[in-house]
Amino acid sequence: MGFSVSGSAALIFVAMFIGFGMFYSAAANSAETVQDAREDRADRSLERANTDIEITTVNYNTAASYLNVTVVNTGSTELAVSDVDVLTNNSYQTGYETTVDGTAGTDLWLPQETLAINVSVSPQPSRVKIVTGPGVAATEVV
Amino acid sequence: MASVSASHLILFIASMMVAASVAGVFTNSIGQLSGALSEQGLDVSSDVRTDVEIISDSGSDAIYTDGTITLYVKNTGSERLAADPGQMDIFVDGQFATDYTVTRVDGSGAWRPGSVVRIDITQSLNSGDHRVQLIVNDDKEVFKFRL
Repeated sequence: MGFSVSGSAALIFVAMFIGFGMFYSAAANSAETVQDAREDRADRSLERANTDIEITTVNYNTAASYLNVTVVNTGSTELAVSDVDVLTNNSYQTGYETTVDGTAGTDLWLPQETLAINVSVSPQPSRVKIVTGPGVAATEVV
Repeated sequence: MASVSASHLILFIASMMVAASVAGVFTNSIGQLSGALSEQGLDVSSDVRTDVEIISDSGSDAIYTDGTITLYVKNTGSERLAADPGQMDIFVDGQFATDYTVTRVDGSGAWRPGSVVRIDITQSLNSGDHRVQLIVNDDKEVFKFRL
């Protein structure tokens, strides 16, 4: 009678201790994962707020059927040329040539640099929309 | 007085067994609760990381042609999504749309951050104002246009 009370109490306390340990590590891991995701979202929001572009010229060459668009990165974030999307009359364009401040083959579009896009499209589109990586976009009538 | 110590022993064993089974059930339940909590954390994290934007030009008149609405959606978050109709829910003017296809336009494979998919919704519309609501992992995007 004497030892069984303290023995079973000890057993239950050990079980509670182990249970608390498992629960705490799961809760801490879960909270850290969600916290990381929230920080990532805050970073992306800041990047989007700092991004801005402006379409400066749009020209269509009727003879050769291509559209020339120049866009300036007027924000303060570095953009990726590969993440830029070009829509002409709501039609997604691929395989167009790009140069940044005259340099071809670069993927960096830094603040205050001009991106020149040369798209083969026929017939002449009426509108063009340029979308950057963070989602900030600009439209222009051709 | 062997009978006294024998009954003491039996009672002792019985109480230890009861305590052990209580402890076992307790630890088991806590273990299941911890597992569920971890999964919920992963789900919430995935929802927070998901962000998509509809990049179609709403002022253009090439959104609706011959009974098909064409929308381009860009993954602007940091979560890798699937280019699959089951990944999203679409409502056209408040009605749940089931007849649509999702295809990647700039390559193939998963809908990773920075890539764009094209959604073709088969739905006939009359002239006037319309709205399409897209929901991906709790991220709601609304696209309004006029025919």
